[in-house]
Amino acid sequence: MAVRVEEQVLPTWKDGAVMRWVTSVDHKKIGLIYIWSAFVFFVGGGSMALAIRLQLAQADQEIATQGSFNALTTMHGTVMVFLFAMPLLAGIGNYLVPLMIGARDMAFPRLNALSLWIYMIGAIVLLGSFGAKGGAAQAGWTAYTPLSGPDYAPELGQDLWILGLHLVGISSLLGSINFLVTIVNMRTQGMSWTRIPLFVWSMVAQSILILLTIPVIAAALLLLLLDRQAGTSFFLPDGGGSAVLYQHLFWFFGHPEVYILVLPAFGIVSEVIPVFARKPIFGYKAVAFSSLGIALISMIVWGHHMFTVGLGDGLNGFFMVATYLVAIPTGIKVLNWTATLWRGNLTFRTPMLFAVGMVALFLIGGLSGVVVANYPVDYQLHDSYYIVAHFHYTIIGGMVLGIFAGLYHWFPKMTGRMYDERLGKWHFWLFTLGFSLTFVPQHMLGLMGMPRRVYTYDREGLFEVYNLVSTIGAWLMALAVLIFIVNVVRSWRSGPRAGSDPWLADTLEWYASSPPAEHNFDSVPYVASHRPLRDLRRRLGGERDG
Amino acid sequence: MSAIAHGDGQRHGDHPPAAHASSRVPPVLVGMYLFIASEAMLFGSFFAAYFFARVSVGAETWPPEPFELPVFLALLNTIILVTSSFTIHWALQSIKRDDRAGLIAGLGLTFLLGLAFLLIQAREYTRLGFSPRDLGFGSTFYGLTGLHGLHVFVGLTLLAIAFVRAVRGHYSARNHQGVELPGIYWHFVDVMWIVVYTTVYVI
Repeated sequence: MAVRVEEQVLPTWKDGAVMRWVTSVDHKKIGLIYIWSAFVFFVGGGSMALAIRLQLAQADQEIATQGSFNALTTMHGTVMVFLFAMPLLAGIGNYLVPLMIGARDMAFPRLNALSLWIYMIGAIVLLGSFGAKGGAAQAGWTAYTPLSGPDYAPELGQDLWILGLHLVGISSLLGSINFLVTIVNMRTQGMSWTRIPLFVWSMVAQSILILLTIPVIAAALLLLLLDRQAGTSFFLPDGGGSAVLYQHLFWFFGHPEVYILVLPAFGIVSEVIPVFARKPIFGYKAVAFSSLGIALISMIVWGHHMFTVGLGDGLNGFFMVATYLVAIPTGIKVLNWTATLWRGNLTFRTPMLFAVGMVALFLIGGLSGVVVANYPVDYQLHDSYYIVAHFHYTIIGGMVLGIFAGLYHWFPKMTGRMYDERLGKWHFWLFTLGFSLTFVPQHMLGLMGMPRRVYTYDREGLFEVYNLVSTIGAWLMALAVLIFIVNVVRSWRSGPRAGSDPWLADTLEWYASSPPAEHNFDSVPYVASHRPLRDLRRRLGGERDG
Repeated sequence: MSAIAHGDGQRHGDHPPAAHASSRVPPVLVGMYLFIASEAMLFGSFFAAYFFARVSVGAETWPPEPFELPVFLALLNTIILVTSSFTIHWALQSIKRDDRAGLIAGLGLTFLLGLAFLLIQAREYTRLGFSPRDLGFGSTFYGLTGLHGLHVFVGLTLLAIAFVRAVRGHYSARNHQGVELPGIYWHFVDVMWIVVYTTVYVI
């Protein structure tokens, strides 16, 4: 083992274990801090969801007041999207991208650390909203004006919410620049654009989306802050501003945001399925370029969130057709994953279960999306629980399941140990069961006319049954997450040692040791295809797979 | 099983792999161009707000009665800023020829021109006779020109740093990235001003 140079040059105040992590610019350490802290926020945001479900378990309950219920839904959405989902993906990306392209680190390691700590500060400011006079922000995660304006939300909580999002946004923006430069400039020898792993392709598409849409939400939030604090009237109709403008700006970001979340999950699944099907991915280029296609089209569909605003049939029709177009590149991916599974030598280890579960559940979310993309149908379903069910199918069924697939898949790489397979399977089945119990009934609730964001409802017919089932499902999901935590903690301490490549996978991160050394690689093999390790195994006369 | 795959792990010795250069453009330049792209989107959002206000107010004339804009003062500012784009280009070309005096003169001139622009804009603000609180018009006017002014300020900060470093002799024909990066930013700020000027003052 080489001498660890930095031990000799570190100033003494950096010597402790904590300061070693806090001052680290190593992409693996930064990635792990992202993942840990994002997971803490996942538990936090999940607890808010449990409180929401408790309040709605039966009609006429008074666990939460109207105000605190609004704060719960607002903060649940915001925390899950901005403090859990985006940072967790940034963490997985941070950990994997340099390893996958055979690089020593990200292009700008110190900028990387800056992104991380701006995110932390942003998270504190955002959650500080809870401690503000008048309570946390209550205008929903969309913060539509005039509801979030000075007249209806005069409390400080809304301002802290805005400032926190600004900081988190800056963090994501810097991160996206870092990812793109890393992938453009730092690929190892022989790794042309059609040889980079599909997860890296998904990070390219995601980073482009972040780069081009975060500035728009930043502008919207800045103008909202000015409306609230400086007396301007960008979004206030009384002063000649436009509330619809806010919605345009918000959704120009808000819709691509969905793909910012789900594209890396697509990338993870595209890595996991070939490994556990012992086959090359079906249609590498189609999978890679459909990510870019999704990114591109997702920037011209924002109006489908605004069908009921009154854009007119012309614009509504345009946004409807554009939305249908997204189904094409997405469908290409689903087809390719299915074709990869077809006649594969399948082993259903936990990562594979989550990956296949993701394809199935995301497909349901995608199909209900096609339903509501039809604007006359949306007139009926807009802002109902059908929408809540739809986007939770895409976000949990798509992204969260994809993330779990990735966390199990790369757990041996990140920790050097194997997770517990039995607990992993319990986690999968309980989680998907709980998920289905929670959100299938919400489709029905929406069709029956239950609006989202209401804190109580009438004692009538099936409303109570569906809501109760939904609440039970939510608690099952919580139990599943608890099992996951137990699994991670136990396995990290005392799981069996994993070799550097326990899955016989094909991409470069498995060439490094588990966990990788500070400098990642002693050497990197020349990359001659998108499956460099399989090439290596063949060259060395190992078993012939795929 | 994995031992096979990693049999040659030590074959090339303990050295880290060679520095990667999968692009001919240096990383900081790629990063800067990407940052500029996101800046363009930021300005785009402010333009969207501007045109939304302009359309939704539905006034016959723009600026709406009784507001007026000092078009010629802004034209003077435009000329100043466009000139500064040439001076920063001159500074960069000078250091590429190892002409340090030209670099310092170019940077200094650019800084002064930028400062003049900001001072004129500040003076304009005090004499306009309307504030950001005056309807969508006032909000979007100050929003757009203010966002640009903020960018000029950031550009001036970068130029000041580059100037000090130039005086201290940090740059040479081979090493002048510290001039090139603020230069890219400055050109962007200039181009944005031309768009802002055309939109807000001319049409």
